[in-house]
Parts: sequence; C-alpha cells; structure tokens
Amino acid sequence: MSGLISRDEVIRIADLARLDLSDTEVEQYQKDLNNLLSSGKKLQNVDVNDTKKTSHAVSMVHELRKDEVEASLPQEVVLSAGSKVMDGFFQVPRIVEEQE
Amino acid sequence: MVTKYDTVIGLEIHVALQTESKFICGCSTEFGAPPNSHCCPICLGLPGALPVLNEKAVEYAIKTGMALNCEINRFSKFDRKNYFYPDMPTAYQITQDAFPICSKGYLEYYYEDKLIKTSLNRIHLECEAGKLIHSGDSIIDSDFSLVDYNRAGIALIEIVTEPDMSAPKQARTFLEQLRLLLNYIGVSDTKMEEGSLRCDANISLKPRGSTVLGPKVELKNLNSFRSLERGLEYEEQRQTEVLEQGGEIRQETRTWNERTGKTASMRSKGDAPDYRFFPEPDLPPLNIDESRVEAISLSIPELPLERLHRLESEYGLSRYESTFLTNYPEFGGLFFELIGKKLQSGAVVNFLMGDYARLAREKGHLTASRIGELLEILKEGLINNNQGKDVLEELYKSEQSPREIVKEKGWEMVSDASELEGVIARILSENPELVSRYENGEDKLFGFFVGQVMRATRGKGDPEVVNSLLRKELGQ
Repeated sequence: MSGLISRDEVIRIADLARLDLSDTEVEQYQKDLNNLLSSGKKLQNVDVNDTKKTSHAVSMVHELRKDEVEASLPQEVVLSAGSKVMDGFFQVPRIVEEQE
Repeated sequence: MVTKYDTVIGLEIHVALQTESKFICGCSTEFGAPPNSHCCPICLGLPGALPVLNEKAVEYAIKTGMALNCEINRFSKFDRKNYFYPDMPTAYQITQDAFPICSKGYLEYYYEDKLIKTSLNRIHLECEAGKLIHSGDSIIDSDFSLVDYNRAGIALIEIVTEPDMSAPKQARTFLEQLRLLLNYIGVSDTKMEEGSLRCDANISLKPRGSTVLGPKVELKNLNSFRSLERGLEYEEQRQTEVLEQGGEIRQETRTWNERTGKTASMRSKGDAPDYRFFPEPDLPPLNIDESRVEAISLSIPELPLERLHRLESEYGLSRYESTFLTNYPEFGGLFFELIGKKLQSGAVVNFLMGDYARLAREKGHLTASRIGELLEILKEGLINNNQGKDVLEELYKSEQSPREIVKEKGWEMVSDASELEGVIARILSENPELVSRYENGEDKLFGFFVGQVMRATRGKGDPEVVNSLLRKELGQ
C-alpha cells in the first residue's frame, strides 16, 4: 500500500527527527500516518467560506512580560542534566556537519 | 576588478538586543558570567516549561523597524525552526517565518560620496542559541566541544536585506552604517567581538546587465567588518574565475577563514536543510496596538543621517567634518555641548579632530567644561596654539583647570608691547650685521628675528604683536 504517504517519505521524516525505525515500525507508521492524513482530507470538504481565518489553535491575547531579571537555576542543577560536564560546561561529542 | 559580471550581495544581520533579561524567560543576559549560570527550565527547554516574551525585546524590534523605515506589522506570529545541534537545548529555535514583526524598509547612507538606499526585506524576532567552544582549532579537528547555555534564549533580531548591493566595500559601508544607527537608537551594544552583531552574506554573479540572479553562495564566519569585505572580495574573485573557465557556481554555504584568506565549502551535499517550520504552539500571535507603536515612535532619537545633514546645514561644517562627528557619537556629543558654550563651530571641530582626537582615543575623553575653558583661553589670546597643545597634554596629567595650569606653569602669552619691545631692541642690537643684510633686501631674515624673539620669550610671545613690533622696529 502506498496511500497518501510513501515509505520513503516516512523514512525521511524519521531521519529528520533522528528516529531509528525498524522495517516493521516503518510499516506501522506509514499506516498510522495514512490514517491521519485521510482524516485530514475529510476536513478539506468542510465549507469554511463563512469561517474567520485563524493562524493559531488557541485564540487568546498575547501577554508580554516586563524586562526584569529573575532567579536562574544554580549551575550544578543545570549541569546535573548532562551526561558529561567539564569546567562548568556541558561536554558534547565531536560535531560533524550534516552528514548523511 | 574589471569583469563581465555584476556582483550581487545581500546580508543577513543578527543583532542581540540589549535587554536585562532573556527573550523567553527572566534569566539575566549578562556577558561573561560563569558558564551555564543564567539558565532555567524555560531556556533549557525542559518539559512543561512555557515561554513568556519580553516586552522590551518587542519594543526594540519595532524601534529598529521604525528607524529603518519598515512597515510595522500589527499582526505577527512565531514559528518553530527545528534542527538538532548542541547549541540549541530545545532542538528548535523560536523565530518568525511567514509573519515577521517588520517588513520592507531601507537604510539610506553615503557610499563613495553618493547618497544611496539599500532595501530591506524584513526584520524578525528570534531566540539566540547557546555558545559552543571547540576543543581543537576548528570544528573539523575537535574531538569534543563545550556548551554554555547562558546565551540561549536571549532576544535577537534578524535584519535581512534585499540582494541590493553591488560591491564588497559597499556591503561593509552598509553594515558600518547599520551598526551606527543601532547604537544611536540604543537597542544593542553591537559588539562584533562579543557576537552581539553578526553578519552572513549572500553573494552571486550575473552577466553584466542581466536581470536574472546567479546561484548564490552563503558566506559564514565573517566576524569583523574587515572579514566581511575580504571574504566577499575573495568570493567575487573565485566565482569570476570559475565562470571565466566555463564552470558553474554551486549554490552552497561556505565559511571564511581569516587566517588563510580563503573560503571553503561547508556542506558536501547540495540539498538545503529541512527545518520543518510549524506554528509555535506555546506562543499566541502577537498583536501590536496603535498606542504602543506611537509611544515607541516618540522614543526614536535623531538618526545618523539626520545628524550629518544638520551638522552641514546648521553649522556649516564640511562633509568630512560632519561625517567624523556623526560616526563618532562621543565626539559629536562634545561638539554640541561646546557649541552650547558659545564657542565657534569651526574652532570646536578643528580642536576635536586635531590633537584631541589622538589623545582621546588613547586615553579617553575630557569633560566638555575643561575643553571649553581651554578653547576660551585660546580665543581670548591668553595662550597661543602651541601652548594650547601643551595645556591639552597637561589636562590628561592633572585635575587642574586649563586656567590654573597656565597660571602655574607661567605660560601666559606675552602680548604686552613694552615688554616685547625691550626684547626686540636687545636682539636687533646683538645682530647688527643681520639687520643691515635685511635692510639690503634679504627678506627671509624676518623669520629669523621672529624666531629669536620667540626663543627669548620661551614661546610665549604673542605672534601677532611680535610681528607688528618687529616690522615697526625694522622700519617698515
């Protein structure tokens, strides 16, 4: 089955999200995503001519905050989230640009 | 360089806004703090944390847009730009994609004596990333990197120009003038060395006169005005050579290497990264009301170009002088203060651009009141110009006022005729032979007599009085 989304597209999306999927998982996700997309397709048949345009799921007023400094977390608490730290920094492995 | 091609350059400038707290949270933006000490669950992207935007950052973005003649969009919204990179703890950057806060606009500035405009495409708000420190000389030969998230979540604006510039030097001038404007309006400290002003450049070539743009190269790692100009010059030359040899320019990102003076390709594959933009669910759209826009417009001070033109028209200064006072705002500020003390604009600008400029750059500025007094005693004729230079040097060494210095050092100019007449009489009587040679037509000896009088008075003789007394004595 190919449907609305191809196997290659699923693999590409998984790759962008850094997900390592097995062949069975790829098949499952392709099926799930196809279901989602076909539900979405139904929405395209709804008449929205009289509906106000929206760009966000929630309709609310944007509240801004004053430019005031608040307390940060202590450094050791921040660093406790890292698997490797050095001199107050997080240490990360060698970064290689966009390799595929 | 004479070529068959037109160069097309556009810039993308990132400016860190000078707010006290970050864009999305209340962590401090202080530079130079211990690593990872200005972080909280929001800027670290911990689950469940929700960002709330800084009002000041929004205000500064609008202020910048107004100073750059942009349309201020009453409706704008935020998007997530997704990518995996260790400098971004959230794995996405909050930015504005389709609906930026400011659109269009332009900057007007002088380039090679002509007033020109560079058009802008947009200004949008976004989040700063953290800072990476590589263990090796460059990212390529580093075994590991260190990450500091103090910078992550600070407010940035990205100013995007149209591909509107035609020479590397023009791009540099544009960036210098843009930086000056940002300083005038006080939205950023614009320190390139601290990364609060950063610039990427897009450059392409097209056959002379063609309207179709060639494939563009994006240049990164341009960390100074000089690198921007040099990097673009190198790339202009490289692309010209490729085209002349019948080759094709690949659309790609290249990095400038200051040490080798060359650019190098950054990505091996030609495909653009896929950022999977989608609307930021944590932030509602931003509606800007009229009263806010109006209040901000009142906060915009005189801009560099306006000041330049005012210095020319109101004070009769030359383009050169006006440019100096505009480009160095501390000098400009002193100029206006001194003019307020009823000093003549020509004398003030000559002083500021003369020895004072050199000393001020080395040792810092003097107050307007001390400079004002020095200019006053020069105008009164209490000291001559040479002594003025000595007083200026002294002002950097002592706390005394110019009048006190002159008095203490005994530097008052001698313009009392009777005192000078005695000196002149003595010098003439000591040099009878030279006097007679002068009387027989050796005019240039007049200068010798002036010099002798000045020496005898240790430089304090009023040159005008000395000249006229000498003429009288020598029978002219």
